[in-house]
Amino acid sequence: MTVVNESVVEGTAEVVGIAPVSTTRPGLPFRPGPGGWAARGALVLAVAFLVVVFPLTQPGPDVQIFTQAVIYAVIGLSLNVLLGYTGQISLGHQAFVGIGAFASAYTVSVQGQSFWVAIVVAMLVGALQAFLLGAVSLRVTGLYFALVTLSYGLLAEQTLFGIDKFTGGGAGQPAPKPAGFATDHRYYFLCLAILGAVVFVDWRMMRTKAGRALLALRENPRVAAAYGINVKAYTLFAFVVAGVFAGLGGSLLAHNDTFVQANVFDFRLALVFVLMTVVGGLRNRSGVVIGSAFFALLGYLIDREYTFPITGWHLQIEKLLAKLPLVPDLTKEVAPLVLGPILLLVTITMYPGGIGQQLRPVGRWLRGKRFDRHDEGPKEVMVADVRA
Amino acid sequence: MDALRERWLAIAGAALAVLVVVALAGSDALVIGVITGSAYGLVALGLVLIYKSSGVFNFAQGEFGTLAVYALYAAHQHVPYGVAVVIALAAAALVGLIVERVIIRPLFDAPRVTLLVATAGVSLLAIGLEFWLSGDRLLHNVDPALPNPDRITLAGIAISDQRLLLLGALVVLAALLGLFFSRTNLGLAILGASQEPTATELVGISVKRVSTLVWVLAALLGGLAGILSVPIGKTFTPGVLTTGGLSALIPGFTAAVIGGMTSLPGAFVGGIIVGVAQTAAPEFHFLNGVDNPGTLVVFVLLVAILVIRPQGLLGRTA
Repeated sequence: MTVVNESVVEGTAEVVGIAPVSTTRPGLPFRPGPGGWAARGALVLAVAFLVVVFPLTQPGPDVQIFTQAVIYAVIGLSLNVLLGYTGQISLGHQAFVGIGAFASAYTVSVQGQSFWVAIVVAMLVGALQAFLLGAVSLRVTGLYFALVTLSYGLLAEQTLFGIDKFTGGGAGQPAPKPAGFATDHRYYFLCLAILGAVVFVDWRMMRTKAGRALLALRENPRVAAAYGINVKAYTLFAFVVAGVFAGLGGSLLAHNDTFVQANVFDFRLALVFVLMTVVGGLRNRSGVVIGSAFFALLGYLIDREYTFPITGWHLQIEKLLAKLPLVPDLTKEVAPLVLGPILLLVTITMYPGGIGQQLRPVGRWLRGKRFDRHDEGPKEVMVADVRA
Repeated sequence: MDALRERWLAIAGAALAVLVVVALAGSDALVIGVITGSAYGLVALGLVLIYKSSGVFNFAQGEFGTLAVYALYAAHQHVPYGVAVVIALAAAALVGLIVERVIIRPLFDAPRVTLLVATAGVSLLAIGLEFWLSGDRLLHNVDPALPNPDRITLAGIAISDQRLLLLGALVVLAALLGLFFSRTNLGLAILGASQEPTATELVGISVKRVSTLVWVLAALLGGLAGILSVPIGKTFTPGVLTTGGLSALIPGFTAAVIGGMTSLPGAFVGGIIVGVAQTAAPEFHFLNGVDNPGTLVVFVLLVAILVIRPQGLLGRTA
């Protein structure tokens, strides 16, 4: 990571006399005027309105979908720890999430514990699974984690979820919403707060010694090892953190639906988790959150009827998709399955930074810099011939 | 010293295999298991091929097979079976070519995990397209190439010709590929490109062209696995070889890992081991009451091999 002190760079550039286009006070770094600050404030307010106020106006079932989007963001951040920070991938994340969901539901419904105990149990279960599977895969290389988790996902789907005591059989395990957050709206804000906490923990973690070690070993494990970083221990640490986040996400998901059913957690869900994280943009928290929310809401956005003000026009994307010639209907169930992978492949091959990178100029603008459309952040350099 | 240890391990493994065979003798599991295992072996061959040349786990290998089955189904509506098979294989090869050119080639210097995500993306895209184009009717029927259900009977079980064909195809292909990699220039070029790409370029071999060739070859193998194994069950759904009824991808990977990820005979042997273990699982009494004991056994096998012998039964530590 080449993190450069930006103010220093801008300062030197202006001394040399290259950069300034319309500086009002030469010699000083760019500062937006009152109008600029107002525009930035307006954007922040608009986003805050969309996230905080808008859901209050919507009916309960819709809010449940928004809550799901928030929870997906937690799961996306969990995968981001693996994929973004260590460069390993889990293809069985639906199992981590699903077992977290059942562990939470089991603790509440069968053991009669409170929601807060259940959430901790789910996180511990997630940590334990990730630790064991990670330890096995690291016998070879981290890439084997993909294989082991893939196999584990199928095991969970076909065998573990068949244990009726744990999952409540075909009817599913009830998972009531916690006291004080019993309505869909209140639960939404609870999840939003937890997402905030996860983002905070993730951000602080990457500022610690462990976080820097993770970034170093992702870029080149051999060089990292040469600098005295215990590659296996830190990779395992990241697996455990990802497991904790995934268990947390599972627990929240369980109490959002109030009934956990095994058939939700199938292989395709695991791939959706990977899609949303990569398309969101690895190592970019806001990108991952946006990407995850987008994929969680994709079906809803396609299905929803939009009414334009003034003109009174109606628009429903599903109806548009149904008019495609020659091929069967692209229904709201199938559309994410087709569009998602295409987005993923386009992201990987053409815009590896994902949504996060595309939004980077906006983020920098919000923090009081000039809007620079071409600002794509530090380029990633891969050392191709020292691959591990 | 190490070589001696290797030999003893191999002998111990073989003895264990013989023991299992004796224990299961006369049971259906052995016969059916060996044949199911051939399908896994075929998938594993393709996985090993790609891993050898580009160091990537190809999660789209199962979908090469499924797409071939769809092509077979679509073509068989209009043309005789033999022609449809050729069309299906051509379709699989074409998909392999497109995947390599559009996805793999631009990512030549990307980290391995990016490639891995890309193959998972290809897999999901294929499944998505199959769901979409199937519309409301998800279950399709496809006939086997050889319809005769019971030409020979082994241990009291009638074995259909299609199953024999599958087993035969695996044996022949494993042998042919073994020869290809040890005797032909092209095979040696592929090995060279996987081990030392820069040096291979220096002696005048295009590593990129080799990569294309490998993907097409692997897709062909995947397609063959699909059109030989899926018709045994006669029906298929979207993603049949990845997550569906046959789900050969995970057992295929397990087989490849047992073989050490780089050994072609290892993939063949691994496939048989996984097939037998999975089929025999319901007969283990301590697994009574477990849903799908076969899946559990495959998972345990994968974990066990990674814990005990990460380089696989026939693999060598590089």
